[in-house]
Amino acid sequence: MNKALLTLITLLLTSTPALAEAEGTIVAMGDSLTAGLGVPARDAYPAQLERKLKEAGYRWQVINAGISGETTSGALSRIDWLMRLKPDVVILETGANDGLRGVDTRLTRSNVDRIVGKLQERGVTVVLAGMQMVKNLGPGYVADFTDIYPSVAKKRHLILIPFFLAKVAGVPSLNQADGIHPRAEGYRIVTDTVYPYVVQAIERHKKNTAHTATR
Amino acid sequence: MVNLRFIGRQITGAKRQCAVFVLGVALSMVTLVSLGSFSRSVNASLLRDAQALHAADVVIHARAPLPAGVEGRLAELRNSGALKTARCYDFYSVVRSFKGEGSLLSDLKVVEPGYPFYGEVLLASGRPFVKVLTPGNVVVEKTLLDRLGLKVGDRLRIGDATLAIGDVVLEEPDRPVNFFALGPRIFVAARDLDSLGLLGMGSRVEYLTLIKISQPRELEPIASQLRAAAGDGRLRVETYKNADSRVKKFFDNLLFFLNLSGIFTLVLAGFAIQSTLFSLLDEQERTIAVMKAVGARSRFIIGHFLAVTLLLGAVGSCLGLFASLGLQGFLPALFRGLIPARVSLAVSGAAVAEAALIGFLVIFLFTALPLYRLKEVKPRAIFGKDEAARLWDRSTVFIALLGCSFFLALVLLRLNDLKAGLYFLLALASLIALACLAAEIALRLLRGSQPKSLALRQAVKGLFRPRNASRTIIVTLSAALAVIFTITVLERNLDSSFVESFPPDAPNVFFIDIQPGQRAEFAKVLGVPAQYFPIVRGTVSAVNGEPVDPEKERRSRGDNLSREFNLTYRSGLLPDERLTEGAGLFRKDWGEPQVSVLDTVLKMHALSVGDRVTFQVQGLPVTARISSIRTRTTGGLAPYFYFVFPSAVLADAPQTIFCAARLNRAQIGGAQTRVVSRFPNVSVIDLTEAASLIGRIMGRLSVIVRFFTFFSIVAGILMVAGAVFATRYARLQESVYFAILGARRRFVLTVFAVENLLLAAVSGVIALAVSQLAGLIICRRVFSLEYRPYPAECLLMFAATLFLVVGVGLGASFSILRLRPAAFLRERADE
Repeated sequence: MNKALLTLITLLLTSTPALAEAEGTIVAMGDSLTAGLGVPARDAYPAQLERKLKEAGYRWQVINAGISGETTSGALSRIDWLMRLKPDVVILETGANDGLRGVDTRLTRSNVDRIVGKLQERGVTVVLAGMQMVKNLGPGYVADFTDIYPSVAKKRHLILIPFFLAKVAGVPSLNQADGIHPRAEGYRIVTDTVYPYVVQAIERHKKNTAHTATR
Repeated sequence: MVNLRFIGRQITGAKRQCAVFVLGVALSMVTLVSLGSFSRSVNASLLRDAQALHAADVVIHARAPLPAGVEGRLAELRNSGALKTARCYDFYSVVRSFKGEGSLLSDLKVVEPGYPFYGEVLLASGRPFVKVLTPGNVVVEKTLLDRLGLKVGDRLRIGDATLAIGDVVLEEPDRPVNFFALGPRIFVAARDLDSLGLLGMGSRVEYLTLIKISQPRELEPIASQLRAAAGDGRLRVETYKNADSRVKKFFDNLLFFLNLSGIFTLVLAGFAIQSTLFSLLDEQERTIAVMKAVGARSRFIIGHFLAVTLLLGAVGSCLGLFASLGLQGFLPALFRGLIPARVSLAVSGAAVAEAALIGFLVIFLFTALPLYRLKEVKPRAIFGKDEAARLWDRSTVFIALLGCSFFLALVLLRLNDLKAGLYFLLALASLIALACLAAEIALRLLRGSQPKSLALRQAVKGLFRPRNASRTIIVTLSAALAVIFTITVLERNLDSSFVESFPPDAPNVFFIDIQPGQRAEFAKVLGVPAQYFPIVRGTVSAVNGEPVDPEKERRSRGDNLSREFNLTYRSGLLPDERLTEGAGLFRKDWGEPQVSVLDTVLKMHALSVGDRVTFQVQGLPVTARISSIRTRTTGGLAPYFYFVFPSAVLADAPQTIFCAARLNRAQIGGAQTRVVSRFPNVSVIDLTEAASLIGRIMGRLSVIVRFFTFFSIVAGILMVAGAVFATRYARLQESVYFAILGARRRFVLTVFAVENLLLAAVSGVIALAVSQLAGLIICRRVFSLEYRPYPAECLLMFAATLFLVVGVGLGASFSILRLRPAAFLRERADE
């Protein structure tokens, strides 16, 4: 067989095309739990989510925009930067680092609210990932922290994932040695948790887009 | 049968040589005993400190309550009296003032009675910790009182409980300097743990089980049993002996260097011993020839000279031991600040025994060659037929190889590191080879020279007199000086890099995670001038289009490209940076994004100017072309960045601001409180203590380096003296012939002085060249530091070398000058 033809076929067979003509863009915005600290990029939840969506027939690109160690203040400051990616849906997972540093929950609440507000102003459909804080920080703090997400979701009419780390947090076999960051199997469960809400967001976005088009 | 009169006469007839021999042995003994004792004292102290640093003999670290298997084993051992336990629970919590206002993230440590098993928790009141930390009371760090506006006696809400502040903690044994504590310490009694209501599913707690072993020899067996019971690796069982200790690593490195220095001193002292013995035996050559002529066997002769050697060795050893005892009084002052004040530096019996054995072996090895050579002396030497005896044959090569093996074994024993030992010996062999080559070239140049001055001509000829030791002196002197010069130059470079890099105005407090919009107000709240650096987090995803494999990167040793980096942007170099490649930081003629790379990155991946690096900056790919490569000129605590971009590339990227400020001690607490109250998202890192501690340590280290280098200098002087004695007879002869030909004593003195000056100058030049090369390589490759040649210091060392060698050489020659020609000629006639 002609060598050039062989090379071309090899390239076609082995190349992993980026989702050509993706229907839409989902940006997973968050901290190390989104970035996938300690696991390969393909095992972090955004990559797993993209594969799961593709299997279900949703040709949507999922971009991992997680930054390890980021607080809600940091997330707030990079909204404009992330808008360069032209997201249709943003999964917002943030606040855990605020909690671990004992940041005042009023500040965290205000930041989350402002982030969602800015995204919604730009027509982005937001999925808010609820977070809980470690019990040892104290009942008052933990309760205030946990309340941030449902109250912002209610105020802003958001799709809320009740708890991002449901069935994963506190299970030693699903987490790395630090007890906080999931292993690959843990992220698989996270992906399963997030998936239905993302599908909901996709459907909501499609409806909104169609509604805007017909007006 | 031993002839004691013969032995006595040998010693009294060669007093100078015997003195140098004894001093050489004494120096070896002092080096071995001092280093051996110091090493044992420090190790014992470190072990004691390690116990205090862990507050226990064994510590089990876990993130959850201990599994049943481990608990069961502990219970068995406790019941049998083999150990005692004390549990500790370490976690963060947000505590609130009982008055209602103010809350603070704090670092809680809940401890059972028994804590700490070693070391002390010091309280501000001076009261015993165990008496103050009772149920219902807590002990807190002063920062908590400052931040919440509380005082001792006020109450604190922790979890579901309200506890009273009993005292202020000043020091705790197992938390030396915590650079990154997110909150002040609070000690809580274990009986209050349940009332806090903070532990349970969903808590992030470090469970510590402190163990005190009843019988020290049971330490490792018990630790092994617990590790076996622990099984899956989620527990960490550490003993105070094998736990990672930065202090231990520091002393291991210091002792590594001191041992190397000690071995080098031994080598020099050994050569001094050898050359004086050669000289002594040369002078006795005729006597030995007569003895052989009347029937004495080589065994008899060698045996007696061996007895002389052993007697001198014993005297030298005793002298060295006394000197070591005297030195113990001085060592604490030398090492003050590096070792805890309670360490008593005493001469250890084991160190003395070890030194005696090693000393004996050194004497044996370095005297074997001269003594073995005695059998080459033939009776016809009586007639003055000075045949140059064959030095190298199978037996002498074997002795030399034995010597090399001994030193390799000594290096391995002392350093406990085969690779380092082999590198050391390779370096020593290379040094000697280089010195031999340089000496040969220098001597050939001198031999071919025709100086106009008579004294200079005679001095040059004197270097090549029969049985001269010029090559030996130059090689050993230049090798010894090269090491001493290199140590000095390195020490100056390290000194300037580290100690001078902590000038009084160096930043000592860092603030991280300042938001860009907060910068102006932050600067006002901080109230002092500071440096601000934008930080943009990003990862490297590809180099020249080739993706970076994070898994493969993580497997490499040291820093690698798999992690996140703090990218930044600016338009110029920092004060402690310079370019190593590239005409400027960025190029005006390139239209694409650019990046300047720190040379440290080149150790992670081969990169050069023109290469393209792709970064993932929070979901966005940014490909930048390398415009320049930078290096740091100091190793101080100033901020530095691996990747620097022009403003246009990253100014719009999400970023935080990092601030480096210089604050007086008195200002730090207030500044921290103001900043964190106004900007809760900002974290503070206070490096005041660390910076001043490092500065003190580096200063102390340079004193120690100079002190132990001094031993090598003394050994070098002895070696020169020994080599001068080796040619004493020939000098005597020349001096007499000069006198007969009408030369004054001043002329003879000038000739000897110039001869020694030439030896010193050649040795000094070789040593300087080698030390500059070695210093450059070590600074740039090993320490990654900028290298400075320190020409003034080098000239001073060179001048000191000339002065010393000429002084020692002339000092050893004065007796020659006093001898009257007639007396010498008469002695020769009698022979």
